[in-house]
Amino acid sequence: MVAPLSFADIDLSLLAPELWMTFLGCLILTIDFLFPKVNKSHLIYLSMAGIVLICLQLVSFFISEKTGSTFNQMFVLDRLAIFFKIFVLFSTLLILLSSIDAVNKIGYFKIEYYFLLIFSALGMMLMASANDLLSLYLSLEFSTFGFYVLVAYLKDDLKSNEAGIKFFILGVLSSAIIIFGISLVYAASGTILFTELMTIRPSMSAIVGLMFIFISLGYKIGAVPFHAWVPDVYQGAPTPVTSFLSIAPKGAAFALMLRVMFSTFAGMRSEWTWFFMGLAILSMSYGNIVAIAQKNMKRLLAYSGIAQIGNILIGFAAGTKMGSEAVLFYLLAYLFANVGAFAVVIIFSNMTDKDDIEDLAGLNRRSPFLAFALLVFLLSLAGVPPLGGFIAKLYVFAAAINQNLIVLVVVGLVNIVISMYYYLIVVKKIYMVEPADASAIPVSLPLRAVVYFSLAGVFILGIFPIWFIDWSVSATEIFTHLVLR
Amino acid sequence: MNDHLLSIILFSLFGGGILLIFIPNTQALLVRGVAAVSAGIATILSFYLLYNFDYKLGGFQFIERYTWAPNIGISFSLGVDGIAVPLVLASSILIFAGIFVSWHIQDRTKEFYIFLLILAGATVGVYVSLDLFFLYFFYEMSVIPMYLLIGVWGSHTKGYHDLKGYLDMAGKPKRDSLRFFFNFTSNSKEYAAMKLVIFLSVGAVVALMGILLIYSRSGIFTFDLIELSNIPEGHYGKGLVSAIWLMLFFGFASIAPLWPMHSWSPVGHASAPAATSMLHAGVLMKLGHFSIIRVAFFLFPEATQEWMPIAAYLCIGSIVYGGLVALFQKDTKYVIGYSSSSHMGMIFLGMAALNVISLTGAVLYMFAHALATGLLFAMAGWVYDQTHTRDIPSLGGLSKKMPFVTGAFIVAVAASVGFPLTVNFVGELMIVVGSWRMYPKTTILAVLGICITLCYLFRMMRSLFFGELKAEYAGVRDAGLWYDRLPLILMIACSLFYGLFPTRFVEVIQSGVVPLLDRIQSAAPLLTQTGGF
Repeated sequence: MVAPLSFADIDLSLLAPELWMTFLGCLILTIDFLFPKVNKSHLIYLSMAGIVLICLQLVSFFISEKTGSTFNQMFVLDRLAIFFKIFVLFSTLLILLSSIDAVNKIGYFKIEYYFLLIFSALGMMLMASANDLLSLYLSLEFSTFGFYVLVAYLKDDLKSNEAGIKFFILGVLSSAIIIFGISLVYAASGTILFTELMTIRPSMSAIVGLMFIFISLGYKIGAVPFHAWVPDVYQGAPTPVTSFLSIAPKGAAFALMLRVMFSTFAGMRSEWTWFFMGLAILSMSYGNIVAIAQKNMKRLLAYSGIAQIGNILIGFAAGTKMGSEAVLFYLLAYLFANVGAFAVVIIFSNMTDKDDIEDLAGLNRRSPFLAFALLVFLLSLAGVPPLGGFIAKLYVFAAAINQNLIVLVVVGLVNIVISMYYYLIVVKKIYMVEPADASAIPVSLPLRAVVYFSLAGVFILGIFPIWFIDWSVSATEIFTHLVLR
Repeated sequence: MNDHLLSIILFSLFGGGILLIFIPNTQALLVRGVAAVSAGIATILSFYLLYNFDYKLGGFQFIERYTWAPNIGISFSLGVDGIAVPLVLASSILIFAGIFVSWHIQDRTKEFYIFLLILAGATVGVYVSLDLFFLYFFYEMSVIPMYLLIGVWGSHTKGYHDLKGYLDMAGKPKRDSLRFFFNFTSNSKEYAAMKLVIFLSVGAVVALMGILLIYSRSGIFTFDLIELSNIPEGHYGKGLVSAIWLMLFFGFASIAPLWPMHSWSPVGHASAPAATSMLHAGVLMKLGHFSIIRVAFFLFPEATQEWMPIAAYLCIGSIVYGGLVALFQKDTKYVIGYSSSSHMGMIFLGMAALNVISLTGAVLYMFAHALATGLLFAMAGWVYDQTHTRDIPSLGGLSKKMPFVTGAFIVAVAASVGFPLTVNFVGELMIVVGSWRMYPKTTILAVLGICITLCYLFRMMRSLFFGELKAEYAGVRDAGLWYDRLPLILMIACSLFYGLFPTRFVEVIQSGVVPLLDRIQSAAPLLTQTGGF
């Protein structure tokens, strides 16, 4: 039974990173409000410094194995949560850096943009720690609210407005579905705590409720058949927002799904594994095949993102400890490659205001550095050694084949070949076609830093994956009750 | 140094590529110098490897082992046996020669050499890997540099310019549209590059499926070849072993390329720049044979006994069909490309017979073919650079202008047809003698294939270099400068020297072949009766 809330047993130190993050968001908003003359970019660097400090705090939590739960187990801090918080914060850092030029170009509501970004990240950090259905719902909504505004940030741009409306309507729909699912589960079990749900007996309403919750989370990660919003929103939103949207919410949603499926409903693995196998096969095949026909770089990356989510779901469907490690590792590889690829698109469209694949023609002549970087990022997404994406793909396949999911691995391997085709079409454009306008493309310092970071990440994940594999292994320690391989 | 010899060879190539990233493209001479030095180090060390390999001891030598990802069962372990040593040497010689052959490349020199060095490093990586994961890692890594080398620095092939006029429904030139990819009659370099990548990727993922099955079903969750070889075949179950073996065979044979999976290869050869064709025909295609020997033969001796005869049938397609197609080509590089594909069939024949003489011959022939074909492609590239055509009928009389190239070409042709004094002769003879007992009829057809080779290569030599010199080619230049001649002399010298003194090679190769065949024969008694096809 639910105990009355008393403040005596609330351990706020577990919440410290979130509290600091809240403080940071409010701080830059207040400073901007009180001192409108302050240089905006200084505030951005201030918030980045703050995020770095919060990251360091989380790292120290990770090392000292600080774990625990508070608010009647609504909020839980363990290594898995810390991993995903660092993941979210790191992508936020990279996105803040990539946004500087774009926001200066937009020219209005600059600080509000960063504020919304930071608060979305805060929502995602809470998602990583959610331990009951209510905090799941609240943190999910919290992180999405910021995006509703950010996606439609270019108020004079029709596509951005359209994207905002689409994202909002589908987002609200998915919220309605999740709340319905939660009420069904509550009706069946009388509890909302993940740890107590472990013991419920499968009944019709519980299963339907859970299905609804996962449909809603499927919408979050953009898995087929809940992907319909992805291409339009990715294309319409300002590119840094797209980049953020393609990474951080996916990570946070996977944190939730891992927590629920791998520990709460671990006993029902043989039932839910089919659901995720189906999602994986559909996402990979649909994403890759439709990506072939794309003419816009952001749309191409949107469909490739859908396919990448399908690949992550392979590890998920394996349902083992190794599968969960593979999911974490894959997300890291996806983070660097995708943020890097989007950073190149941002640099390119900042100068040219275009983002079609056709416009990238002859990029190698205009900026060899950017062409090489884009080549590396696309090859990493395609899974070519010695880049991070290859190890990640091999990791999920190895996890799946150990669980005898032959069909899933075969579909995954076929999809590698399909994806190779459209990534190489882009490579063909940037390397083998002469540019119509051969003017050089300037790269500003913050974006250059993002590209260098991502390049380093992609190569280190591919050549020395051991550090990140070890990190994934220790972050998934809570799943040791599962089959190891 | 012996402890780290293989990693030094490997990383002198990759290191050269990485170093080049930091050199500006304007300093073309420095770029070439760095590339040449890194390939030179690899070549010298490969010779050192050949002469320091203890053939009396046999087995895997120069073993290095580093932990890499113990959690997934991957270790970075290197080592060579007698089969890998000549192939490492062939790769090093060809990359060294290739760097000088492409000395004149002006467009994006730096990127060209970076991708060339990565390609060469990846092929060497496959030959020295003792871990299935790294074998696949380097195997797959060699594909993408090929795509860029062909697509950026290559040339369009026959009939491409006829397509210029055709527009698709959107009004764009047909060769740039999506439909173009599926149009198998087109001949742009981008098409060739994409076709190569798609074919090789399909082959690679089929092989990867086999590798993953080995990984999971062996029950020890490791990619280490030595450890895996201790698992008896019965552990996997009969049906699964056959399935894995066939996946490995067809996956790797697609890069070899075994008929009927060969169609990417001549197109790729023809479109690629000279140095890339050399590496492609010389060492990249041998990755297929080598990987089959290293993985399928080594891990599954029984299945090898059972299934290897299919190679003896399919290789007829390669040898005879490839030869006949080459007979009717009018493009110099297509002729050499199909001749390579035909010669790859010879190697499969040598492998299929599964006895010491033929398998030794097959490995020796891999080395020999690398030199001979590398030389042929270098010459064809030289002629193309000077005359800007590869159309055989429109050329002629070039020997008056380029005597040195003519001489080298004659040696290359002699080597390719297996003329005595060249190392090809030794290899070919061993293959034919060794496989005669097992597959007499196939061997007869293979000898017929050698005769066809004789026809088309001599015909090409005659119409390129002899007869009347056409007026438009009066200005062509011979390979006169030291860096033009160095790679040719190196390849000719190796081919002749090891043709006269093949003993060292044969001993080294046999030290690898004999234990392998012992494994295969002890797994199941060797089929001694004559028969089969």
